[in-house]
Amino acid sequence: MNPQEAKEMTSEPPATTRGRFGREQGAATATPVAGPQQAGHRVTVGELNAYYGEQHAIKDLSIDFEPNRVTALIGPSGCGKSTLVRCINRMHEEIPGAYATGKVMVDDTDVYDSRVDVVAVRRAVGMVFQKPNPFPTMSIYDNVAAGLRLRGAKGSHLKERVEASLRSAGLWDEVKDRLAKAGIGLSGGQQQRLCIARTLAAEPEVILMDEPCSALDPIATLKIEELIDELKTKYTIVIVTHNMQQAARVADTTAFMLSGELVEHADTEKMFTNPDDDRTEQYVTGKFG
Amino acid sequence: MPETTRHAFQEELTELESQALAGLDMVVTTLERTMEALQQQDVELALMVVQDDDRIDGRYLEVHQGILSLLARQAPVATDLRLVAALLDVIKHVERMGDQCVNIAKTIPLTGHEPPVVPELLGTLLEMGRHVAAMIEQAKRAFCTRNVELAEDLVSRDDAVNRMHREAFRIALEAGEDVDTREWAMMMLGVGRALERMGDNAVDIGEQTAFIVTGLFREFTDASRPAPVS
Repeated sequence: MNPQEAKEMTSEPPATTRGRFGREQGAATATPVAGPQQAGHRVTVGELNAYYGEQHAIKDLSIDFEPNRVTALIGPSGCGKSTLVRCINRMHEEIPGAYATGKVMVDDTDVYDSRVDVVAVRRAVGMVFQKPNPFPTMSIYDNVAAGLRLRGAKGSHLKERVEASLRSAGLWDEVKDRLAKAGIGLSGGQQQRLCIARTLAAEPEVILMDEPCSALDPIATLKIEELIDELKTKYTIVIVTHNMQQAARVADTTAFMLSGELVEHADTEKMFTNPDDDRTEQYVTGKFG
Repeated sequence: MPETTRHAFQEELTELESQALAGLDMVVTTLERTMEALQQQDVELALMVVQDDDRIDGRYLEVHQGILSLLARQAPVATDLRLVAALLDVIKHVERMGDQCVNIAKTIPLTGHEPPVVPELLGTLLEMGRHVAAMIEQAKRAFCTRNVELAEDLVSRDDAVNRMHREAFRIALEAGEDVDTREWAMMMLGVGRALERMGDNAVDIGEQTAFIVTGLFREFTDASRPAPVS
């Protein structure tokens, strides 16, 4: 959020909603990819309930994701981790019969406000998926440029943005000489970083990662984890992971979910050395899961 | 909730705990032999204690290696991690207490075949030895049962050992004018010092018990502050 937007939010909250994720927003701006001074944004989830038809997947869940921090979501399969992150950028509602109630705020903006443009929300709250999913018919360059072109970027500005995004994703040096080659031809780890570059090109405020390393080998996983550590200086990051050690390595705070409820959320060190809740203890020590 | 799938890990951790705590039994046996050698001026038994320390050192290496392997392969967390960290500490104290027994045993041949014993001083040291052996057994019991109260009780027992240590010092100072007697008494102060340190080791093991149970490490007593004059 730039200072002008912040000022508008303070003075006229309703207008802010439109200004930030509103339907009027859409044209590309000349702003470069966020610099190192960019502050992350706070995500506040309040009394969230999410459903798949009759199935109650998230139950009255409230949690704060602090700016410039990495929060890991852990819990057994089906506990609602992925549903929670998909609620944050409103992808949950894309599933037929799925809906959510409650509040999801990015700073002071309610992403479920009726005046909010869902596309703008998904641009501001970027998502990286379990399996790398570059556009299969596009080159490396075009994979990153596609979203920018839709927003009107072109010429040298577009090239600068693509390069900056690839650099931020730690991929530039590996692909700068083959930008016209197919993105699908990269290794799994490189494809995942390409997807991260694509996400960064949209200038997100928050990055959601749903098991981003589960399909990668240990070296590629390490690169992604190092990248996450760099990205948190600019972004707020939420990562879903089944890998306890990955949560311990990358996350500042860890939240344990069970059966759609938040059991415990605390500093990662505490969660893995001396959790308060017995269920957390049982889960992280492998007593169940 | 599905049941655990980490049976092998839990078995390995339990085995490591058993091995480390059995190290305490080895120390108690060694200490009893050491005190018997001291009482009887048995040089051969003292030599056996020195040689037998290799077994305690071997136990230390065995448990230490086992813990490193477990950390590398199983990445324990939470209570399991605290137990592993505590076991590293316990086995270190086992090794050190074994070394203290060696220090005492090595003193015995130096005092000669028929040393000029001050019975009151020897009696105090033997009493210290019995107290310390009981403390080590209590430290083991508290650790096994995760009994913080029993662990904390080690402090009062250590106070008694410390009082006996001061008493031994007083007796040694008043050992008289005979040079040989004074030399023997000075050597016995080294024995007293070794026993006093072993008492501290037992208290440290008690602190590890509290750490496992509460998740917070705290010293039962603050060694940086002087003890009240009794």
